[in-house]
Amino acid sequence: MTSLTLKRLSVFALPFAAFAGMSTAAQAQEWTPERSIEFVAPANPGGGWDTLVRTMSRVIQQEELADESFAAINVPGGGGAVAWAQVARDSGNPHKLFATSPPMILVPLAGASRYDHTDFTPVARINTDYSIILVAADSEYQNLEDLLNALKEDPSLSVGGGSAPGSMDHIAIAGLASAAGMEASAVNYIPFSGGGDAMTNLMGGHIEAVVGGAGEAVGQLGEGSQLRALGVSSEERLGGGLSDVPTYQEQGFDYTFDIWRGVMGAPDMPEEAVAYYEDLFAEMLETDAWREASDQLGWIDAYQNSEEFGAFLDQQQEQFSDVLSELGLLRQ
Amino acid sequence: MDAFNNLMYGFGIALEPINIAYVFAGVFAGTIIGMLPGLGPISALALMIPITFAMEPSSGLILMAGVYYGAIFGGSTSSILLNAPGVAGTVATSFDGYPMAKKGLAGKALAIAAYSSFVGGTVSVIFLMLVAPLLSKVAVSFGPSEYFALMVLGLTAVVSLSDKSLIKGLIAAVVGVIISIVGIDMQTGTERFTFGSVQLLDGIDFLVVALGIFALAEVFYMLLRGGGGKEAPRNAIGSLKLTRSEVKEIAGPVGRSSVLGFFTGVLPGAGATIGSFLGYSMEKRIAKDGDTFGQGNIKGVAAPEAANNAACTGSFVPLLTLGVPGSGTTAVLLGALLVMGVNPGPMMLTERPDVFWGVVASMYIGNIFLLVLNLPLIPLIAKILDLPKPLLLSLILIFCMIGVYGMSFSVFDLLLLLGFGLVGLGMRLFGFPAAPLILALILGNIMEESMRRALQISGGDWMTFIDKPISLGLLVVALLSLGLPLLKKRRKKIPPDVAI
Repeated sequence: MTSLTLKRLSVFALPFAAFAGMSTAAQAQEWTPERSIEFVAPANPGGGWDTLVRTMSRVIQQEELADESFAAINVPGGGGAVAWAQVARDSGNPHKLFATSPPMILVPLAGASRYDHTDFTPVARINTDYSIILVAADSEYQNLEDLLNALKEDPSLSVGGGSAPGSMDHIAIAGLASAAGMEASAVNYIPFSGGGDAMTNLMGGHIEAVVGGAGEAVGQLGEGSQLRALGVSSEERLGGGLSDVPTYQEQGFDYTFDIWRGVMGAPDMPEEAVAYYEDLFAEMLETDAWREASDQLGWIDAYQNSEEFGAFLDQQQEQFSDVLSELGLLRQ
Repeated sequence: MDAFNNLMYGFGIALEPINIAYVFAGVFAGTIIGMLPGLGPISALALMIPITFAMEPSSGLILMAGVYYGAIFGGSTSSILLNAPGVAGTVATSFDGYPMAKKGLAGKALAIAAYSSFVGGTVSVIFLMLVAPLLSKVAVSFGPSEYFALMVLGLTAVVSLSDKSLIKGLIAAVVGVIISIVGIDMQTGTERFTFGSVQLLDGIDFLVVALGIFALAEVFYMLLRGGGGKEAPRNAIGSLKLTRSEVKEIAGPVGRSSVLGFFTGVLPGAGATIGSFLGYSMEKRIAKDGDTFGQGNIKGVAAPEAANNAACTGSFVPLLTLGVPGSGTTAVLLGALLVMGVNPGPMMLTERPDVFWGVVASMYIGNIFLLVLNLPLIPLIAKILDLPKPLLLSLILIFCMIGVYGMSFSVFDLLLLLGFGLVGLGMRLFGFPAAPLILALILGNIMEESMRRALQISGGDWMTFIDKPISLGLLVVALLSLGLPLLKKRRKKIPPDVAI
């Protein structure tokens, strides 16, 4: 009576699915799911991972791409570490996936998770967002150079972000500072409890600038806005409401930063299962429903298959550990 | 008048039959969700996103907003009947609501909660309608220094919440602050008091502590005292009717707390929980019979109930006018709006007036629905108190367990719940008040974070708390509210050991 919770709802389908799947899977060469897939968002409802999990589940169901359903499950805690510990115990399970993004690399590097990305099976990179730098609409800083010069002169100027030191937003600004010839640790980074919190503080004039996700910021820009964007971390200019925001590279700072999002699975997931999901997600990216949702959420497709994604993750780890060690936050 | 025309336009949308149905469905679902501890509005709304996706944005938001304020409305029920707060915003309601229920006045307590919620909800919709665009300035004027000062002001309520012994109250408050510190420190990323446990990295959920220290401790206490089952079930419900003098008595607290609650709600991050505590402690201080708060004073139910519903509506101001969520629940709402293709923010009033005014108008209707829906339900729901004691106690126990497990699916949290139940029992046996602990737990973390953030921005200069007029003003009020009761006590010439 009392427990119509997320988890309960999502497992309703399980027993039936298991029976239906059993006979077919044994004979077929190609792997298909035998029951509904547990798709874990390692955070509370409402965040980036949760949105990815729910949007993917919905599109796959809506477009009838898979025979079995994707059940969204929230496992919050420790910036992802609780969910990772849980998935890591489920070695070889082909029915368990989770959403992932740079914290998968950053949290372990900061010493806050026993498991890192090499403990899991990379399935696919799905899309990406970029980092953006905002100032108040009436700020004296007209471009990135103005802001960075001011930061060089007065290191006490505060730059807010929506996450703890050593996590995404901090790395994004510290890396830029480093590329501009400053010390990464010289930026007075002020962590707020979320991107929205940081932006309200910018509007109120409590801090000088904010570094955050471009997708999150797009709603705050445009006509009548109290904020102004100085630059985005992408290689090329973004579309839509951000088309007139120059990239860092355009402004002479050779630095890019991806807020990638992807899917990983339990350790040692069978190859056939990985292949199945790779194809499924690639197909999903082609649908209109996905297109529409991505446009609204400010996501940009950036598909990579399992192998490419795995290599990309290794490379990210290398890059992030450089910045973190410059910041003195590396604890591995 | 402009607002009037806009409101009529809003009613044109909200009164469409389908939208009336959505308001009704929303507040009904919300009431139920609010009554059940653990199943909060956040997870309920997250579940609804796929349903609302295909809807007209105004209808979707009307439905989801209904669930949100319906949950706050319904949350008082379990606070009053079982001492088990259904949602975080209704913890303060249990301080006087539960003693009332124990006295056989459950019906009256629930009725007061319903009326006060209705007034709080309605008053704040009027504010939302008239001054929302202006208030966005107020919302952003609060930076870290100002939040720190606000939390200090909130914490001074510890003095009024520790009824018998100030020292025991302060001890409880310090323990509350310590619990609030557990987890990863936001400012440095360091783990504090986690003892290497992954489960503690995100800290201890406020509701786990509240359910343990209030509801579970009460169960344990009754087991110890009554041996269970002996006491004959009393005529538990009592009358729902308020006398004229009672209405007069709560009119002031409801009015003041509605306004206070609304403004607390407007501040991102403050919200219903803090609003209800501020309302409660304010009334306790200014009431002539402030000593009887905590023993079943009707004003102690009216004030937090008016405040939490007003704060809930107030939290729509930063969401709709700035596009920034002030709480977990409004963050989910923001996500839902984005998926529906609406960008909340400064331009929303001109770009999507249908959504803004439709929702505002629907809130008037929703509050009336809630009142009409809840009043006849009260005698039915309050029957739960007629259950034989062993059944009732087991029910509360199961209720709390399911509530906590439903929040995190973590067995560890269940053990924490039991632990806090025992802590609560010990506190009751040795005369430590529970309210200061809960208050400090809610405020401690925000207070510490704001203070360190403010100092980091100012380069370590403490003057930042005094240079800013809002922050200075709040600190002065905090100082006064601490100083005045002490002066009063001095004047009464009570020997210090008795005062303590």
